[in-house]
Amino acid sequence: MYLRDLLYYPNRAKLDYRALPEDFQELGEGLVYFGEMLTEMRRLARDISRGDLNCPLPSSDNELAASLKSLHATLKHLTWQAQQVAKGDYNQHVNFMGEFADAFNEMVSQLRERRDNLTDEMKEIQRKTNDLARSNSLFETITSMMTEWIVMIDRETGEHLFANHPVKNDLASDLFEPQLYNILFDYAKEMGEEDEPVTEEFSLLSDFAIQWFSVILYPVKWYGHNAVAAVLTDITDEKEQLQELEKVAYKDMLTGAYNRHFGMKLLNEWISQKRHFVISFVDMDRLKYVNDVFGHAEGDQYILKVAELLSQFSPDAQVVRLGGDEFMVLASDYTLEEADRKLEELRDELVKEEYVSGGGDIRYKRSLSYGNVEVKEDNETSSGDLLSTADEKMYEYKKSHKAERRDEAG
Amino acid sequence: MNIFKRDASLHEFSWENLGDVKEGRGDLGEEMPVIVYRLMQYTMLDILTKDFGADKANEYFRRAGFLAGQEFAKNLLDLTVDLDKFLANLQDSLKEQKIGILRMEAFDADTGNMVLTVGQDLDCSGLPITNETVCNYDEGFIAGILGAYTGKDYDVKEVDCWANGDRVCRFNGTVVS
Repeated sequence: MYLRDLLYYPNRAKLDYRALPEDFQELGEGLVYFGEMLTEMRRLARDISRGDLNCPLPSSDNELAASLKSLHATLKHLTWQAQQVAKGDYNQHVNFMGEFADAFNEMVSQLRERRDNLTDEMKEIQRKTNDLARSNSLFETITSMMTEWIVMIDRETGEHLFANHPVKNDLASDLFEPQLYNILFDYAKEMGEEDEPVTEEFSLLSDFAIQWFSVILYPVKWYGHNAVAAVLTDITDEKEQLQELEKVAYKDMLTGAYNRHFGMKLLNEWISQKRHFVISFVDMDRLKYVNDVFGHAEGDQYILKVAELLSQFSPDAQVVRLGGDEFMVLASDYTLEEADRKLEELRDELVKEEYVSGGGDIRYKRSLSYGNVEVKEDNETSSGDLLSTADEKMYEYKKSHKAERRDEAG
Repeated sequence: MNIFKRDASLHEFSWENLGDVKEGRGDLGEEMPVIVYRLMQYTMLDILTKDFGADKANEYFRRAGFLAGQEFAKNLLDLTVDLDKFLANLQDSLKEQKIGILRMEAFDADTGNMVLTVGQDLDCSGLPITNETVCNYDEGFIAGILGAYTGKDYDVKEVDCWANGDRVCRFNGTVVS
């Protein structure tokens, strides 16, 4: 009964061996001990099957449970090994437990291989990152040292992608930043993808400031953008210096009109460009008289007045002081009749007033004589001959108006 | 007096005193049956127990194991690597030297305490069943190794020892300082 209960109903298995006949008591005691060993083994088997590895263990004497204890120790060690693997220790190796060991070792081996691959990839990425950081640092150092601006815009959307300096800070006016980007966007739109770099010059204008730039535009692919890199140089100072030099080289210091040298150069250009225009040869009347009687200061005022008057010929007309009392006006797309009419109007304006010199009370009249020559696209005459013809016509005009001047005071 | 003999005594342990086994045992080699090792160990235990009692004999075995563990660690293990690497090396080394199969069960990184088992132990696997724990030498040996690596004093106790064909011993290592 006890052995049956021990096997099938362990909870109720009980044997009071002292109640047995004396000859059977030792056997009974042995059976009870065997029952305790069996119970310990059962409990350990149950705990292991539930995954409770921190369970109480059978005593050292329990030979029946030795294999289960060995299994328990193995599972505890496997737990440790799995924890080590989870920490990244891929040197763990199971050399027992047959197929499970093979599977475990294969898993660890694959994890190690993946870790090694990832490590290699990370090293490669790190190396590239370092290279990139070095390149970027070099780029930033160079671009920050450059006085030129590097501006990157998307050529399709106009989006601002990069600027090596805060562009706004270096612009002469708050209004210039949108102007600048609009101009660059216009250039960018015109460029083909395979185009060579393009060099342009442009200016930004407001009521109070002007800023000149030269720009080299490079078509580039940048972070998925079809972009244009614009290298901008502020050439305002150079432009101003150039204008100053031009003024000295090409302009008459008193009136600001072009001088004879530049005027003849301009005339020759217009002729060679086959343009249609009128040459007006203008001569101030009685400048010598004014200089002699009222002094050169008054004479200069007279010259300035005529220069100012001629500048009203038309917005596009070029006024040239040929020297002394002679001017030349080049007016594009004017006919002879239109030019005659215009100059007559200007002359009328000049002669209608009487002038009084600063120091005295003598009044005098100012006037001018002119001769116009129309130059057409098919002109074959030289600039010198054309000017001589205009001069002759002016002389004719002056002669025909001599009586008029004689009637004038002074 | 032979002035050419060394002053050193074999009664004081040093790694060098283990001698050149390979050279000295040219034909027989560096290995021998485990039974010969146990013959020396358990006859010594017998004599020490008879002269000093079982507790004292166990104490001598534990101290000898501690010295052996320290020397083993210092001479055969790399003490500069991290713990995981050290334990892996220790496992390999114990197996290579055929001392036993070390398996870690738990390690508390905060306290340094650990639980480990040694299977197929050189000292005890296959011994007949008694009511004694017999791995005193192992306790000292493990404490010596852990002490040499961590610089801490370990108290190592065999908490479970069982026998079948493949005797396994479980040890608790506790840091006492």
